[in-house]
Amino acid sequence: MEKRTDKNSYTILFAVIMVFVVGASLAFLATSLKGKIDENKRLEKQQNILYAMGVNDNDEKSVAFISTDNVAKEFSTYITKQVIIQGDNVTEDDEAYLIDLKVESAKSKEASYQRRLPLFIGEKEGAPYYIVPMRGKGLWDAIWGYISLDKNLVVQGVFFDHKGETPGLGANINQRFFMDDFTGEHILNQKENFAGIAVSKSNIDPKNERKTDNAVDAIAGATITGDGIAAMIRKDLRMYMPYLQTLKN
Amino acid sequence: MGLLSKRDTKLITDPLADNNPITIQVLGICSALAITAELEASIVMSIAVLFVLGLGNVVISLMRNIIPSKIRIIVQLIVVATLVIIVDLVLKAFAYQLSKTLSVFVGLIITNCIIMGRFEAFALANGPWKSFLDGIGNSLGYAVILIIVGFFRELLGSGSLLGFPVLGDAIEKTGVYAYGYENNGFMLLAPMALITVGLIIWVQRNKSKALIED
Amino acid sequence: MEHIELFFKSIFIDNMVFATFLGMCSYLAVSKKVTTAVGLGAAVIFVMAITVPLNWLLDTYLLKDGALAWLGPEYAEYDLSFLSFIMFIATIATMVQLVEIIVEKFSPSLYNSLGIFLPLIAVNCAILGGSLFMQSREIQSLGLAFNYGVSSGIGWFLAILAIASIREKIRYSNVPPALRGLGITFIVTGLMAIGFMSFGGMLTGGDEEEVPAETTVVISVEQQNDIANNTKVIE
Repeated sequence: MEKRTDKNSYTILFAVIMVFVVGASLAFLATSLKGKIDENKRLEKQQNILYAMGVNDNDEKSVAFISTDNVAKEFSTYITKQVIIQGDNVTEDDEAYLIDLKVESAKSKEASYQRRLPLFIGEKEGAPYYIVPMRGKGLWDAIWGYISLDKNLVVQGVFFDHKGETPGLGANINQRFFMDDFTGEHILNQKENFAGIAVSKSNIDPKNERKTDNAVDAIAGATITGDGIAAMIRKDLRMYMPYLQTLKN
Repeated sequence: MGLLSKRDTKLITDPLADNNPITIQVLGICSALAITAELEASIVMSIAVLFVLGLGNVVISLMRNIIPSKIRIIVQLIVVATLVIIVDLVLKAFAYQLSKTLSVFVGLIITNCIIMGRFEAFALANGPWKSFLDGIGNSLGYAVILIIVGFFRELLGSGSLLGFPVLGDAIEKTGVYAYGYENNGFMLLAPMALITVGLIIWVQRNKSKALIED
Repeated sequence: MEHIELFFKSIFIDNMVFATFLGMCSYLAVSKKVTTAVGLGAAVIFVMAITVPLNWLLDTYLLKDGALAWLGPEYAEYDLSFLSFIMFIATIATMVQLVEIIVEKFSPSLYNSLGIFLPLIAVNCAILGGSLFMQSREIQSLGLAFNYGVSSGIGWFLAILAIASIREKIRYSNVPPALRGLGITFIVTGLMAIGFMSFGGMLTGGDEEEVPAETTVVISVEQQNDIANNTKVIE
């Protein structure tokens, strides 16, 4: 005798009910939590930007952001100006940090679209910081980061993060031992041309003493993620160079 | 053992050695290779799998009489994916930092064949309590291998355990490094995980000859 | 050109088995005989060739942030990407079930030898991985998505064919008893993966505009060393 659960009508009914239940519950959950999740993401962005300019609660080895309760206040204290660069136009916009780089990069594939480039200008102990957001690809998925420069275009600090790099290997790009190496590196070469910062396996500079070689040491076993970081810096930072070069002069 | 009968205990202990999901059943290999470069990641993944497999087995077992056999794979996958996504969304809203640590594992869990494999092989045919025990047992067996591999890869590859440099500082040349020891960076690459698992199988089958394939 | 590059890249450099270690379970378990391996490999190519473009359509016109814009401007705000896992899996599971029914009908012997692993194609991480890579690597067009699906499938097929042939031959070798079967397969796969790493150098360069930037870096490093040496001499 055929079992009840083998009947086509039952199968279809079951599938319809399941799709409805799963879809409805997920959609409900996603919409009801959306506000909170977006808020978390917004605070995280602020934390990351502040981290890159050296405003954080780090102790010896850890990566610690300003706590979420204080971040909004600190953000408005340290970040004095946010601008959007679009071609030759530079406009001030207090919500520039909410620009989604992924969307901008997708839109800019149409030749008619002039990409909007957000730039955050901070001030700490009287010195100006210029913080550039970046986005690229690692081994598995997206990687992104912020790099803060002083007006001589020397790196003052970076923050990198990733969506799904290999734990223990590529995922270590958001660890201190990797990020701290970038501090003090130059993004220009000897001839004052833009060179970016390579993530090099043959750098042989584990203590990162050579600051002007445009390279830091790679993480062992994470070649593709490291190349992704270097490519991200080269590609995204280059777009800001026309603006950043004017600071230097 | 008031709570567990003898057969129930076997459900938990068997997968630890003689019916290990990784070395015998060949389930859940991808994740065993991908994330074992560090001991900590291995442990986190093991705990995540413990939760999902324990819970998922119970849910599937409860639903076993109403799932239409023709579309059972879709149903199983959707059940586990839904569970994982719900947990992920809730964590993102209420424990954002934790969710960042775990988000890497979400995709790995949904596609982990150990979960589907146990659904198919056990939960569809057994009651919820037994399925729960089976889930726990198999994820423990999975955890054992993950932790062994993670231990050796982190120790030999980066000279540390759980991020703590047990062998001394490789850059400052202290500890064993003072005597010319070097980390074997090759251990961090995925091929070495394969070879390590191969060696574990070798050791295991040498101990219990019954497992030897002809 | 784009197509050719993606094709070879997916087969050799980003090989599903040897570079990203996806689809290992069925790869290890169904590689005892070349004939079964060929069957499963063909099934994977087939499933990937269908699911990757299908999921590409889903992603572009349904799930992505702003993907619903084609329905009208008022829908442009929606972002359904939290559903992508479920949608991708559902597509794949449906296709796999379809393949299962077809194989059962036309080749019962293949169906029997595939056993539990045919349903497991659904969670063959290579297949979901293909769809997720397609999403995260932002593949541009339907044609490229199809190309990516087929070539990743071929890469997987090649890997399982190779290991199955090795396993058939290895029976004539004197492997330590405890290592026979699964153990030696793991180790051989590890060695093959090391071999495949050398393909990483096949497509060097990348974007052409990057070349001058890199040469200047090299020069500057050399200069740096010179300067460093000179200062040492002076000291």
